[in-house]
Amino acid sequence: MNTNAAREARRAPEPEKTRRSGARTVGAWREHHLWSMSISLRRLGARPLGTLLTVAVMGVALALPLTFYLLLDNVQRMGDALGQNQSISAFMKPGLNAGMAETAASALRGRPEVGQIAIRTPKDGLDELAEVQGFSGALQSLDANPLPYVLSVTPKTGLSADDIGRLVESMKATPGVDMVQETGAWRQRLDALVGVGGRAVGLLALLLGVAALLVVGNTIRVDIQSRSAEIGVLLLIGASRPFVRRPYLYAGIWLGFLAGVLAVALAAVLELAMAGPVGRLAAAYDGSVSFGALPAWLLLSVPFASALLGWLGARLVSARQIRRAAAV
Amino acid sequence: MGDAVIGFDLVSKRYEGGHQALTDVSFQVDAGEMAFVTGHSGAGKSTLLKLLAMIERPTNGVVTLDGQKLNTVRPGDIPKIRRKLGMVFQDHRLLLDRTVFANVELPLIIGGVAPADRGRRVRAALEKVGLLSYEKQLPEALSTGEQQRVGIARAIVAKPAVLIADEPTGNLDPQLAMEIMSLFAEFQAVGTAVLVASHDLMLIKRMKKRVVVLDHGKLVADVPATEVV
Repeated sequence: MNTNAAREARRAPEPEKTRRSGARTVGAWREHHLWSMSISLRRLGARPLGTLLTVAVMGVALALPLTFYLLLDNVQRMGDALGQNQSISAFMKPGLNAGMAETAASALRGRPEVGQIAIRTPKDGLDELAEVQGFSGALQSLDANPLPYVLSVTPKTGLSADDIGRLVESMKATPGVDMVQETGAWRQRLDALVGVGGRAVGLLALLLGVAALLVVGNTIRVDIQSRSAEIGVLLLIGASRPFVRRPYLYAGIWLGFLAGVLAVALAAVLELAMAGPVGRLAAAYDGSVSFGALPAWLLLSVPFASALLGWLGARLVSARQIRRAAAV
Repeated sequence: MGDAVIGFDLVSKRYEGGHQALTDVSFQVDAGEMAFVTGHSGAGKSTLLKLLAMIERPTNGVVTLDGQKLNTVRPGDIPKIRRKLGMVFQDHRLLLDRTVFANVELPLIIGGVAPADRGRRVRAALEKVGLLSYEKQLPEALSTGEQQRVGIARAIVAKPAVLIADEPTGNLDPQLAMEIMSLFAEFQAVGTAVLVASHDLMLIKRMKKRVVVLDHGKLVADVPATEVV
């Protein structure tokens, strides 16, 4: 073995560098990437605290928009569920008889937004009131029932605030209807609020994404600065700038990926913490509200998007820093 | 030009700021030849080597390396030129957080050599400089002379056509310096062109190799090996 090795060393220089087959170039490319991957990982492992801090800062920054998204999604769902539970009441003009109430109800049944219509007679209304503590005595002193017929309209599920608005308008226009007690206004307000929230989450995600990018960029910049001597040596022994730069790009990718995994883990913990209270809320609403978990595609794509951010951050600083290091 | 692997043809170098480092220097070094470049401090020895490594570019004249005119090389192709060279520095310039093995392996990784071949060639280079048993050590655990030998192993592992060294024995005692110089002579014997810059005249005389003498940037003497006394 040793004699073989010695013979190998004594062999005259070969012109192998000038001979370049396609396979050799691909092989070299693969070797370069494998080396860059392993050395970047090793270096991150060599200073665990610094790596951990960078990943933690970046991970928290990315977990925040995820959490807000989760919150917003659930507020939206709750609004939808509550909005669907609400029926809209149309009070008929006083003195109308059952036939006229029925005519108005059949006119409304033809509308696409309408799910169910219940006709509550003046007697139903009086009975309901009688059940309320303290009213029964007062009601007995009435010689006639002053209550009107009421059409209780339950909209179909999944309607937008605009659809509800149109339904309310048509109810108001129905002959015999005196007034409509609409619940659409708060729905519209909630939808507007959720819309504002959605925009805010988008902007926040953008800002925190930029912050994550800067965090990685700064870490890589400091790393390159501390290795300027080494970079000088690599360039002197024939390394190209892309070769010198590649381990730092990989470092950015690893940091980004780990931060993305951390962000998903944090969001999952928050999700679990929220699932209990939301479950109780759902029970209070007869199960019509369900907890909206973060979708799997989002959770799976966060680490990769984050890795991309890390790569971009490293890319932004590395070319310039390596030029500087090479000049030293 | 014949077998010349290193060629200087009326090469001048004037640095920004006006310092004239080299003036009309011409000489050649053939494959398998070893030459010393000597002269007082500031005579232009380092500049000469920097032109070969393309750390600097000449103001006038043509430098050739392994048959290629360096004047026409684009900046993006400089790494390819440097891979034809093995460079040894006065202060070894090893990566301190990598083992001896990993340091010597670097030029092979840069050259895209497959892992199986790398191990074999790194060990061959380390054996050549007598440090095979040190492969797993970090450079700081080694003596100055040993570190310099690791630097030499790194310079020759990719089998460059040309080996250049800038004051490689500057930090070593005479005994170690002689050992290092003898090592260079061995590479010359296997067909590598070796060019060593040194101001140590005693050592140079003992080596009995060709000597190129610079004085204030001018080549004032080119003494063949046979005439060194």
